[in-house]
Parts: sequence; structure tokens; C-alpha cells
Amino acid sequence: MNTFKIGENTFELAESIIKDLKASDNLGILKCIQCGMCTSTCPAARHTDYDPREIIKRVLDKDETLIKDDIIWNCFYCYTCHSICPVNNSACEVNQVLRQKTIDNGKGKSKIAPFSEYADSYLESGLGTIPSDFFSDLIKDYGNEWIELKANLEEIRKELSLGPMLLPKKDIEDINEILEKTGFTKRLERVRRCKDEKDTR
Amino acid sequence: MKKIPDKEILLFKSCLVNVEYPGVESSTKFVFDKLGIEYTISERQSCCTGLGHYADLFDQFSTTALAARNFGIAREEDHRNIATLCATCYAILKKSANILNTKDNVRRQVNKIFDGSGISDLKYKVEDIDSRDNIFHTTEIIYNKADKIPDLVEVDLSGFKVAAHHACHYCKVHHQDTIGNPRDPMVIETIAKACGVETVDWYDRKTNTCGNGFRQRYMNKDLSFSVTAEKLLSLKENEVDILLHMCPNCQIQFDRNQKVIGESLNTEFNIICLNISQFVALAFGADPYKVVGIQTHTVPVEPVVDKIKLINPVNEV
Repeated sequence: MNTFKIGENTFELAESIIKDLKASDNLGILKCIQCGMCTSTCPAARHTDYDPREIIKRVLDKDETLIKDDIIWNCFYCYTCHSICPVNNSACEVNQVLRQKTIDNGKGKSKIAPFSEYADSYLESGLGTIPSDFFSDLIKDYGNEWIELKANLEEIRKELSLGPMLLPKKDIEDINEILEKTGFTKRLERVRRCKDEKDTR
Repeated sequence: MKKIPDKEILLFKSCLVNVEYPGVESSTKFVFDKLGIEYTISERQSCCTGLGHYADLFDQFSTTALAARNFGIAREEDHRNIATLCATCYAILKKSANILNTKDNVRRQVNKIFDGSGISDLKYKVEDIDSRDNIFHTTEIIYNKADKIPDLVEVDLSGFKVAAHHACHYCKVHHQDTIGNPRDPMVIETIAKACGVETVDWYDRKTNTCGNGFRQRYMNKDLSFSVTAEKLLSLKENEVDILLHMCPNCQIQFDRNQKVIGESLNTEFNIICLNISQFVALAFGADPYKVVGIQTHTVPVEPVVDKIKLINPVNEV
């Protein structure tokens, strides 16, 4: 239970989320009446301790331990809560902002590091791809035909009369320049470093 | 209902369709051609960042800047009506358009980056692209022409029982722009009915997420599969033969993981997964391998092809 000082802005965390670029216009966190529609329809709540109503309550209580709480990583980003909320709140978007705060604070980088190859591929070709680190697990579940598909992809795409997947060189260079200037490339380097540290540990 | 265009469409390619179910793109082209939809494809268009974005890897500003670049390309191609093959592209692009249209500081920053990168021609001007009037899912484009479908059907698929999985990122993210009721969407069923098949309009868990959950499938597999299993069990109870999709991520989840989920539950599902464009293409008589691309599916689509041959012997499929 948090205790607040008189005059302290207890909605600081909620307000910082509302102001985030990821938050939809008029995100209704402050209007939440804890009705629980979100939790009643949430797939993660059905199978884990994750509870979107509780997440919102903690945000409204300015509970900053939430940022370091692993529970926020259980959300599916399915937007079911977002689509049914009577006051235009979205636990889904709140989670997205909370995870970004965790990433900015350091701890969250190891959570997203396994996906860094997606961005490597984006910078190389303008297209994202499922990171190859996951392949051995996927082949186990999908079967060997899946890896054969990867090997025969070019041929299959030709048979289907599809155009090229990869972007022209000039466009890939433009994309790299954009991502350099948005700060993404630097962000990716920090995430990658986190992955390398983990791999050598 | 929102106004859905049938021309000046940029068919927006999807990274997952490209490599997992390329037949979704070729089927959509086939169906668009039959329905008289005027569209183009640009080799310059980049991926929306979707999987990376929802794996929390891409920040919103970078995703928005890349969307602005793709919007600039749509404008230069004179095909400003974007139609996506993937529900996540649909949601990401709509969100980015809203940001670019309403947040002046973001638009200015993006344009400054474009100026400094020698791509001033792609700079974004307010209302270049309107989220509601210019960004669509390809399924909506087909839905809009549903009354033309019955006359074009060449193959009788009425022997199959089909159900729909409307992707969350189509129905729920920008729910005010979803056709019909986002809590009981009927976009896919309406198209399937026009093809002359029986549809299961409601089933338990119909609006459940596929369970992929972006990071969840890779980092938290048991959780991901428990959610997918709920829907698969409901589909089995309803004796569904074919599950129709509008998102490659959902299609992967139900098609590629179906066997291993079935094994964990000591059951077999054998539910064929097809994108609605692939289904319509089959109904229009498209070649299952050279257009529909069933050779990249995990749950074999051959039973459908065999049945087509059996009941439509005149069709050389």
C-alpha cells in the first residue's frame, strides 16, 4: 500500500503513460472505475496471474514497482481489453508503454534481446524475419517440411509468379539512414550488447 | 459504413506472407483481377515493422517514420488507398497515420529526417493518408464486392464446413473502423457465404486471440498454446473443416502449431487453414499450387483439392 504526501501528484505515472506516443488519443486511464471488463475477457488473465484491472489500479496508485514487475510481459497485445473498455482505457497500450519504460531503464533489454535479429534483417533488407535462434524449436513443432519450405522459397515464389521480396539497394540505404536518425540503430546496438553478454555468460 | 475503394490501391506486401504463405499474395492478386480491382505493388515498400514493433523492439517513433516513408511511396505511385494482407500491418499503418496527422511535432521531426536523408520527395503532408479513408485490409476490398462473387464461382466448395478467425489487429485495435460488430465480426463469413459454403457464424471463443501474442509464442510457449488450444477445441466441437484467416501470424499459429498442440491434448484436429483470399481463389477455379500456394501449408490442403476434383471433374485442377 502506497502512502502519498499531501500535494503529491499521485497520477504522475498515469499521466506519463497518457502523454506517451504509443498511447491513443484520450486514453481513459484516469476514467477507470475498475469494472473488470478487461480482466473478464483477457486471455493472459485466464491462464496466468496477470490481471489487467490490477495493472491499471497499480498505475493509478503510482506503483512504480510495476515497471520492474515481470507480470507486464504476459500481455498478448491482442487488444481485447482495449476494444471493450467502456471508458476508452487500454491495459494493452498501458503495458506497451510500461515495457518501453522497463527497456529504457535497462532491465527490459534482455527481454527483447532474443528478437534483435528481426531488426538486423530489417536493416539489411527492409523486411523483418523470425530470428534464427528460434528455428530449432520451431522445426521441432512445425516439422522438417517447414525448413524445406525455407530452402525452396525462391522457387515456390517463382511458381506463384510473385515479384521480388527484397527492396532495391537505394531504398535499403534510405531506411538505414532513417533508422540511424530516429535513434533506432543506437537502441538496437544496446539491445544487441545485452544479447551478446547473455550468450557469452 | 466506411467507404471502401476499388481502385488506386497499393497492395501492401507482408513480411510473413512473403516467406510463410506467399500464396496469400498471389491469391489476392488473382481475386482482385477477377473482381476488377485496380491495384499496384511497389518493390520499394518496406515491411511495417509489425512483429518487431509488438515484440517491443521498435519504438513508436521509428515505426511511424517508416510508415511515413511507405505513405510517401503510395503517394508517388498515385495509389493512395493502401490494402494490407496482414492485420498487424493494417493496425500499425492506421496508428502511424493518426500520429502523423495529429501530432505536429512528430510529423515535423520525421520530415526533418527525410530532408536530411535526401528523400524530401517522400515528406509527409497532413492528411496525405487518412486512417479511415485510405487504409484497408484486403479482405475488406473483397467484402465490398461480395455481391459479384456468386457469378464468378467455378468450383463447388459447399461440402465443407468453414469458420472464421478474424484477426485481433483487424477487429480490436481500431474497432471504430471495423466493418460490422467488432465483438461478432462477420466480414469473412459474408465472403465465404457468397462462395456458396456453410459457415459456422458463432462458436465458443470466436473472438479469442490466436494465441501467438508476438513474444509469447517464442518466450512463453505453454501460455501461447493454451490459448490456441481453447479455440481449436471449440472448432473441433463444431466439426469445422476449414478455418478462414485474414492474418498470416494467426494462420501460422493455427496451421503450423496445430499438430503439436493436438499431441499435447491427445487429439487430432485436422483443421485446414486458409486465408480468405486463398479460399475465394479456389472457388474461382485458381490452380491450388500455382496460385493458391497450398504447398507451403503444414496441415495438408490436399483433401480440399481432392474433393474439388471429385465433385468438379470438368475442372482440371
